[in-house]
Amino acid sequence: MISIENLTVRFGGVVALDHIGAEFSANVSGLIGPNGAGKTTTMNVISGFLDAHNGHVIVEGTDLVKLAPHKRVQWGLRRSFQKEQIANDLTVRENLMAITDHLRGSRGDKRADLERAAEFAGVTGILDKMGRDLNTFERRLTDVARCVIGHPKMIMFDEPAGGLTPEETERLGDLILGIHDLTGAKVLVIDHDVELIERICAETLVLDFGKRVAFGPTSEVLRDPAVQAAYLGIEVEEEHA
Amino acid sequence: MRSTTNTIWAVFGLALILVLPAFAGGQWIKIFTSTTTFAMAAAGAGFLYTRLGMVSLVQVGLMGVGGWVTLRLNHAFNFPFEINLMVAGAVTMFLGNLIALPALRMRGLYLALITLMFAAGLDIVFTAKQFPNGAAGFWGVGTTFAADMRRPLLAQSDAAYLRYTMVWLVIGFVLIELHRRMAPGRAWALIRKSEAAALASGVNVTLYKTWAFGLSGLLAGLGGGLLAGSLGLLDSATFRASESVMLFALVIVGGARFWYGAVIAAVLFRVVPGLLNNWGVDADLSLVIFGAALLHAVMTAPDGLAGQINGAVRALIPGGKTAETKSDKKGAKA
Ligand SMILES: Nc1ncnc2c1ncn2[C@@H]1O[C@H](COP(=O)(O)OP(=O)(O)O)[C@@H](O)[C@H]1O
Ligand SMILES: [Mg+2]
Repeated sequence: MISIENLTVRFGGVVALDHIGAEFSANVSGLIGPNGAGKTTTMNVISGFLDAHNGHVIVEGTDLVKLAPHKRVQWGLRRSFQKEQIANDLTVRENLMAITDHLRGSRGDKRADLERAAEFAGVTGILDKMGRDLNTFERRLTDVARCVIGHPKMIMFDEPAGGLTPEETERLGDLILGIHDLTGAKVLVIDHDVELIERICAETLVLDFGKRVAFGPTSEVLRDPAVQAAYLGIEVEEEHA
Repeated sequence: MRSTTNTIWAVFGLALILVLPAFAGGQWIKIFTSTTTFAMAAAGAGFLYTRLGMVSLVQVGLMGVGGWVTLRLNHAFNFPFEINLMVAGAVTMFLGNLIALPALRMRGLYLALITLMFAAGLDIVFTAKQFPNGAAGFWGVGTTFAADMRRPLLAQSDAAYLRYTMVWLVIGFVLIELHRRMAPGRAWALIRKSEAAALASGVNVTLYKTWAFGLSGLLAGLGGGLLAGSLGLLDSATFRASESVMLFALVIVGGARFWYGAVIAAVLFRVVPGLLNNWGVDADLSLVIFGAALLHAVMTAPDGLAGQINGAVRALIPGGKTAETKSDKKGAKA
């Protein structure tokens, strides 16, 4: 269970998150809303890159908000970024090792874990490729491997399907669906692709202007008139873009 | 491929260590020794720049601190040279850690300016207090004094001492390379990409930035201590803040991504002015030459002279690939 309570973030006078609360019990949950709704801000607070003015994020009895950002990773939090952050001058393997470096465990365990994560994400064949030589999809797959390594408890993906073809998006969706069976972690996914969210997320939280618009089973949430109103804007916007 | 080039360089380096001290005469032995000590400081600045994208303009100032500590200990106690050198390295490593504190909040130009302020502060202290030469008191400076500087047992002669210094430089390079290949190197690569990337991978950014500055400070301090051992007396003019800026500029000219870039930087820094002197040309002309070289590096050769040499060496080896060494400017700025 991922329990978000009363999360509030202000940037100067702007309220980016306004007392957001939700209890995610599904294995894969969604976080959607128009641009600027506060989705990435939510993930940044959970990661510890931003300080919340108020609120808690409680996962398996631990209040993440109280831990330093790097301690949250040791606890079992993983995330990917809207703009992926693979180090260019490291190989894929080194990018993965950079996470296990800071975790407990023997060298052998870590190597086995790395191989398992690479196998799962389908990057075994490119483990020795440099970050700068990866294409968009390879970067996304490397991100998936980064997220499932080191026995995670909670994983967040920020727009993982951005820039991918429909086939690649489908493959990525399958991977995300397989994460809970592999690791036991709860997954939170932000994406603009409503089809993807509908397919892989059992529960979804909808934000608009930093406020909670709806929360519940994904199919119900998507039928909610308030959600359709919020989304109409973005649909039109994207067609004209 | 990489290992072939590395072997070539290792053989070349070994040959240099054996041959150079045996054949260099008189004044040149001292110049080569000081070149080697400055190469250590340059290696520290170069690795900070390529691995973390951070500019340190205080390396020569830290060399001064290393030299000061070594002289101070030499004249106050009877420890062997190595102990004095180690203490000097520890002190500058700690100072490096201190300088890293502002680095945790600032980047780019602002960070460079902070390190330059440190250098200016050291410059003032060195000018006011000078370097210990065996007189009494904490500062230990007397006008007529020139007490003995003890050297390592294995390196009493100037030629042996040059060899000894070169071995230290190799140790410095190995230390940097080991770091690059292990957890700190990976953490630094992520920090250079972005702090968010580092944090999301569980990197303790504070710890690893502090560590990097400490390592860079250690190399500068050892270099300064070794310089003190070579000359016996140090002069505050050697450690001006402007010298730190000059050394950094030459690190860019030499090529910070390759270890021999630091050697090239130090050779330009130490040998070119000496050559000009020998030829009866005003040594200040070197400033003009360096300025032009820096422009050249910034505009057309982002990996410096070392990058161009590396490209040429790779082109000579069958199957050599130059593309792999392409610089990664985007990453350095992120
Ligand atoms: N670091 C920041 N400083 C100031 N404003 C920010 C910052 N990060 C996000 N915002 C603002 O907060 C709001 C939510 O942004 P964000 O969470 O990135 O939206 P999205 O739902 O598209 O991911 C936007 O209005 C954005 O401009
Ligand atoms: Mg976003």
